[in-house]
Amino acid sequence: MTIAQTAKSENYIFAVSSNGLRKNYQSRTVLEEVDIRVPFQSFYVLMGENGSGKTTILKMLMNLERADNGSVEIFGCDSKFNAAQARAQIGYVPHLAEHEYQWMTCRQFLKFVSPYYPSWDTDYCGQLANAFSLQMDTSLTRFSTGEHRRLQLITALVHRPPLLLLDEPFEGLDPLIRRKVLRLLTQHLADTPTTVLITSNQIHELESLADYIGILGSGKLVAQMSREKLHLLVRNYSIETPQDWSLPEQFSGLVMKYSSLGREQQFTLLGEESDVINRLSQSGASVKDVQPLSFEDASFALLEGAKQI
Amino acid sequence: MAIKLNAADSRPLYLQIIDEIRRAIILGTLQEGDSLPSVRELASELVVNPRTVSQAYKELEIQGIAEVRRGQGTFVTRNVYSSLNDRIAVAKRIAKKALADAKSYGVSTEQLLIMIGELTREKTGSSISIKTG
Repeated sequence: MTIAQTAKSENYIFAVSSNGLRKNYQSRTVLEEVDIRVPFQSFYVLMGENGSGKTTILKMLMNLERADNGSVEIFGCDSKFNAAQARAQIGYVPHLAEHEYQWMTCRQFLKFVSPYYPSWDTDYCGQLANAFSLQMDTSLTRFSTGEHRRLQLITALVHRPPLLLLDEPFEGLDPLIRRKVLRLLTQHLADTPTTVLITSNQIHELESLADYIGILGSGKLVAQMSREKLHLLVRNYSIETPQDWSLPEQFSGLVMKYSSLGREQQFTLLGEESDVINRLSQSGASVKDVQPLSFEDASFALLEGAKQI
Repeated sequence: MAIKLNAADSRPLYLQIIDEIRRAIILGTLQEGDSLPSVRELASELVVNPRTVSQAYKELEIQGIAEVRRGQGTFVTRNVYSSLNDRIAVAKRIAKKALADAKSYGVSTEQLLIMIGELTREKTGSSISIKTG
């Protein structure tokens, strides 16, 4: 029985979880107490500015990098002790295109890596290579960055793993190819139940696929929630206030965005709507309007909020 | 069939899909007995999570608008807008949206109604009479 099947039969809620993950490079803290929770078969988008630690987390999940503290679990198993088994369950697209095996042609490369994956699907491999318009008999030295990226995506998808770890997988792809890759990924998800953990700053491309979001801000996971929660908890409040009014201190850390026009002030705040309205009213402000945000706007608000913390 | 989603719309995606299919039914693009695109097709066309499309189809089935036939696909079972109640529900939704828009621009309900009356007169040459109560 594979790890994923075990996970399913034992009803693990999380396909990927980390506990108190910490990493320092010399004196610089890269990750601090990261508890990531990726629900089984969800599509989890991990956002954060460059250098916020996204790639490090994915590498730790692949056991390519060790944590100074804390642990990671893939389908309920510590990937440190079951590295090979865990890796066979994962389709991984690393952040940087690796340039190993350059002397092979595309066809030779795919044939060479296939034995590592018991569930390699040769027909699907052909279909994907065709859809991605990869020249099978071209040597990898002559591949462009975008072609390398596409080849990595094929290797990640073709064995239909229960878990995909994709680190900025669309970087270096031109817009038309991006669109095509997104369509193929969607079809893949319709055919194969998969948990996806993907890092990206292009949230607008993924917004309709995402059902969970995590925001990393300088090494800390500052927010992690489902799409529904995000919709409920991040809202725009338009308020009118008496002169000399200032936002009560209890909102510190919950203000994602602020703007004002004339007498009206607008805050994007994190919290239960009724609770936020109560607290605003108690402080003397009058709430004129409350609006939910689109998924993209709400995630950007969280990302901006993360910078201030 | 062209189903479009609006990224700026903050409503859940499955509701937007339901609305688009209902709209296609009102316009007659989709008629009783027609098949809906498969979950895989529609999901990849819209680049939407397939589970979201399934959720929309399930909801349409609960509403009695669509029906899943095993191994064949999902089909439109009836014209949702055949009954008076359904039409009232649509009118109500449109009116609500117009009222919210008006409010956000500081337009009163009365001004809005007058304008609707004027525009209708301009377009059709005849005035509308509003019966209340």
